[in-house]
Amino acid sequence: MSAWSVTEPSARSKGIAAVLVILYTVITLLPLVWIIATGFKTGPDSISYPPKVIFQPSLEGYVNLFTDRTRATPEQLAAMPPPENFVDEIVQRRGEVITQPSKFGARFLNSVIIGFGSTFLSIFLGTLAAYAFSRFRVPLKDDLLFFILSTRMMPPIAVAIPIFLMFRQLGLSDTHLGMILLYTGVNISLAVWLLKGFIDEIPREYEEAALIDGYTRLQAFRKVVLPQAATGIASTAIFCLIFAWNEYAFAFLLTSGTAQTAPPFIPTIFGVGGKDWPAVAAGATLFLLPVMIFTILLRKHLLRGITFGAVRK
Amino acid sequence: MADTPIDRLARATPSSLARRVRGLSDRAIAWVFVTPTILLLLAINIFPLIWTVRLSFTNFAANKPNAEVKWVGLRNYTRILTDPDIWQTMQATAHFLFWTLLFQVVIGFSLAWLINRKFRGNDLLTTLIVLPMMLSPAVVGNFWTFLYEPQIGLFNYAVEFFTGIPASSFSMLGSVTLAPWSIVIADTWMWTPFVMLICLAGLRSIPDYIYEAAEVDRASKWRQFWTMTVPMVLPFLMLAVLFRGIENFKMFDLVVQLTGGGPGSTTLLTSIELKREAFEKWRTGYSSAYAIILFVTVFGLASIYVKALNKVKER
Amino acid sequence: MKGFLSGLLRLRRGPWELLASCLIGLGVFMLMQPFVLWAFTWSFLVTLTGTVMFIITSHFPE
Repeated sequence: MSAWSVTEPSARSKGIAAVLVILYTVITLLPLVWIIATGFKTGPDSISYPPKVIFQPSLEGYVNLFTDRTRATPEQLAAMPPPENFVDEIVQRRGEVITQPSKFGARFLNSVIIGFGSTFLSIFLGTLAAYAFSRFRVPLKDDLLFFILSTRMMPPIAVAIPIFLMFRQLGLSDTHLGMILLYTGVNISLAVWLLKGFIDEIPREYEEAALIDGYTRLQAFRKVVLPQAATGIASTAIFCLIFAWNEYAFAFLLTSGTAQTAPPFIPTIFGVGGKDWPAVAAGATLFLLPVMIFTILLRKHLLRGITFGAVRK
Repeated sequence: MADTPIDRLARATPSSLARRVRGLSDRAIAWVFVTPTILLLLAINIFPLIWTVRLSFTNFAANKPNAEVKWVGLRNYTRILTDPDIWQTMQATAHFLFWTLLFQVVIGFSLAWLINRKFRGNDLLTTLIVLPMMLSPAVVGNFWTFLYEPQIGLFNYAVEFFTGIPASSFSMLGSVTLAPWSIVIADTWMWTPFVMLICLAGLRSIPDYIYEAAEVDRASKWRQFWTMTVPMVLPFLMLAVLFRGIENFKMFDLVVQLTGGGPGSTTLLTSIELKREAFEKWRTGYSSAYAIILFVTVFGLASIYVKALNKVKER
Repeated sequence: MKGFLSGLLRLRRGPWELLASCLIGLGVFMLMQPFVLWAFTWSFLVTLTGTVMFIITSHFPE
């Protein structure tokens, strides 16, 4: 134990801790690395025993992800023109022809539309409500805040039954609008709680000074509070986006075609014979990568996001 | 400035308008700002909930909307609460809950404790460790079925590599004894970082001078750990456990992708059973009662959770 | 213990909330325990009581 500080761990204990944590990190990242690696394998490589760590990278998985294919007879293949690009080449080499582009692109786009739509809406409504809860005396404030949070805790399957019936009645089932509204309803609790924390941290004096300068409340809100809360709003937005992006239960139960998002779709990717793991992994990679990047960007605010703003570090 | 009556009127008009806007009292603004949120939540959450309560007293079936709906009183509730099969799914849920919480708390706390040694690069490692929990459980769960493949899966191969048990001799998802553990492993992999992050915040909230004082009193490291570190982190740990408890009680996406409830009903968690009743057997009234039972349980736990949340906030 | 009882009698928030939390906890345990079906049957009522009690008693003065 070093003499100069009792709270500073010794170099040796730091070293041991570092080794153990690195070990855990490697193990925990292995499945993620495996997803990315499998996306670049060929079909036989992906299911070889023992699992292949070193392999010839191939874009087969990505090609399969974006196309629907069918087996071609040797005569058909011989009659076909020589491949024009690498996509045709990969497909023809395995004796298949492309019938049409797959649905993955559309499903991914749905995820983007619904994710951004619901994020925008929940941030818009959430900022207003959070400002009101932070600055004004709203009657029954604590009850309302608890009520808002408790809606987040509801089991999705439990609410799905009446929502299913309600959407059917209103013609909202399997529509983008319906899913955007639904995800906004789930996300808004997080938005209100997080944003209230961020706005609470902005000193009231700024607004009061602006009010004395002749700003109205609304002007002060727009010109003083909003710019100050910008980073908070941005990180809350990313949290909402990640949630909407990852959500599965509602998407699985309430969408089937036009508005289906990627999470219920990716597990249903099948190849010509059985599960096409490279294609699934390719889809998973494309789908998970944005979230990984966002997580790294968010690292300073992560703790707030997962505890509804209670723990600020 | 000229001071004709016209000018005065011109000057007065905008300011009176402004006064009217300013006259939008804080109270009014508060209502205008809060109402849309409350309305949306009423429409998306509360209205459906009330509808569920109503349906739970009927024999309504969503796939037969034109059939006569009969009021059956409490019969749905009594049937669920005396059904040994439902009780069985609750026990499967309990198994899942207990072991995931135990593993996540032990591993998560240890990790936080190690990271709190503040070695170089601990920020980077924390960020990397956190990655799994931010990802889509359904997509990741689906990929875990690949890792669990008996012959070709990475997980089975790793087991063979370290223990010598042949990779093809066991199937994590197919065996009645192993399947409950396969979902525990995947969930622990995914959510340990959550517990770790919160514990880390707890550890970092302990001021150094407390340890310095203990050192002056010559309290042993072991004693310091149990009498100071643990009690100070406990509120944070409570928060993490309650939140994971609630989330795993209603667990659906990860497990439905991994095992879908099988083999048999060994991993049939309660949400998956509810989904079967509601959307495969279409017993809407019955499953509404089931949903209410789950909801009340979650709501009760959530109120304790919010209490814990406020306690941590005061720190 | 004495403080707890007098808190209950004077309708203070702290002890009543604690009591409600314990009731909810008991209900959740009864719901998921593997021992007796009878406890499972009555668990819902216990949890419901605890939850309603929590909502009411959280409005008691500190």
